Amino acid sequence: MSSTEQGTSSAAPAEPTTAPESAAAPEVPESFYYVHGKDKVVHKVSAGALQHSALIHGMISNLGYTEEQAKANPFPFENIDGDILQMVVDWCNQHKGKPTPPEDTNLPKQKEKLFDLVLAVNYLEIKELLTYCCKQVAMMVKGKSPEEIREIWMIPTDAEDEAAEKEAKKRAGKEAAGETAAAAGDAK
Amino acid sequence: MSSLIEMPELVLERIIGFSHFTAVLTLRQVCRDFRNFIDDLKDSKLPDAKFSKIEIELKEDGEKIIFEFVGPDDSLYRLKYAEAGNRRKFNGKGKMVMNADIIDVAIQDVELILRFQKSPLKRLYCDSNAYIHIDPSIHCLPIKLNDMFKMLNRKIKTRELSIVITNFQSEVTIILPIADLETLECIDVYSYYNDTGIEIDDIVKTEQWKKVKEMNFKVPALNLKVEDICHFSRFNIKVNTISAKDLDCLKKTITSGSSNVEFSCLKVINFDENEEILNLWGPAYLSESSSQWYFRSKDSGEDILVVNYQQDRDKIHFDVFELEDVPNGAIVQEYNEN
Repeated sequence: MSSTEQGTSSAAPAEPTTAPESAAAPEVPESFYYVHGKDKVVHKVSAGALQHSALIHGMISNLGYTEEQAKANPFPFENIDGDILQMVVDWCNQHKGKPTPPEDTNLPKQKEKLFDLVLAVNYLEIKELLTYCCKQVAMMVKGKSPEEIREIWMIPTDAEDEAAEKEAKKRAGKEAAGETAAAAGDAK
Repeated sequence: MSSLIEMPELVLERIIGFSHFTAVLTLRQVCRDFRNFIDDLKDSKLPDAKFSKIEIELKEDGEKIIFEFVGPDDSLYRLKYAEAGNRRKFNGKGKMVMNADIIDVAIQDVELILRFQKSPLKRLYCDSNAYIHIDPSIHCLPIKLNDMFKMLNRKIKTRELSIVITNFQSEVTIILPIADLETLECIDVYSYYNDTGIEIDDIVKTEQWKKVKEMNFKVPALNLKVEDICHFSRFNIKVNTISAKDLDCLKKTITSGSSNVEFSCLKVINFDENEEILNLWGPAYLSESSSQWYFRSKDSGEDILVVNYQQDRDKIHFDVFELEDVPNGAIVQEYNEN
């Protein structure tokens, strides 16, 4: 991953570029942290980019890790798929230190990906990105009939839901009866 | 993949908040989980439908109740309810409803839709001019509407409230309390058939009458007292008659500065106190078919009250002119406290 604001990321991060010489403020070296998802691929992300995530920002704010310590202790997000975490890291890099625009058109159009992204972003508490994702889902619901929404988002009808519930209860009842019978057999 | 309904509650709330109100109503029909989730949400979490106008019309023919909701882009959502076959039509598409009482269905629908209305309406129009004498059952819609608002402890925020009535002031007093006092600026009362007039003693006691700045009362208001209209900035009120003494009282209230009347009008069907008014105000300045009197007001500098009586149109206008606009030859009467 390049730690510049270009937003491309990879598992083998490059060193950060230095600030332009014209910058008047004294240069403070940027600190970096490491995160990985379900696929264990480690992403190097600057503290500035991670500020977007209230969860990670809260975790790192009192750590005071050295570069070595940070490298040795990547934050594991086992509940997030690798490609989704990559998207999140890219977004945080692209929007590091910048005001977020009113819309983001680069979100995944596939509903499965968008859903996983929503869950990840909600978990990582990235407020602005969650807003974009929710707007995108709202757009995808707009103009659809109840039947279309059920089909697209795999939602059972009330009747199907009730039938499934009944079936599950029946199965649970049978299993419980089986266990009781087995227990009774053991006791004998 | 996760199903939409399995999203964390806060995420679902935000998705709903970003949706169009029609999409939320559609989501309610997707499954019971969505319906329960949306019904349990606080109104503040729902999107604003931003209706500019709502019309409620009661009719005697097949379609008994009509609701029209006009969106911010002039989009129109029309709901019609017919007793025959217990049918509800939405934008032309009909559906049979299970509930036997079509009025209850209409009330439930309007209650649901109003959860989405946060911005003030420009106008709420209630037309109960529905041959109530032929079909008195229809009158229970306004009563049930009133009950619903009481029960919900809710008011409709509307700048203008228009009520079309038949013969009773109760048709006005039943609707007035549903309007939010802070937002209401103007009330219109009309009738298509009523020329005899209605009593207004109960109407003038309502908070809405006392608070609004503009009143258009196109049904003859019986036993109108001028002190009940002095607080309006603008009024357009029809009366069967008015005494010269009452007109003088109104003039005095305006010139003393106790009233801020701008352009207002009394439509007086039979004004027969011409002589009395001449005795009180002196000779008028005559302009075409109208008689005009000009009065200087207390502490209002160059502002002159003009009372313009148009005999051919049975109208008495009250207006404020600047001194320079008073025609040559007209006498401006000095302010006189008595």
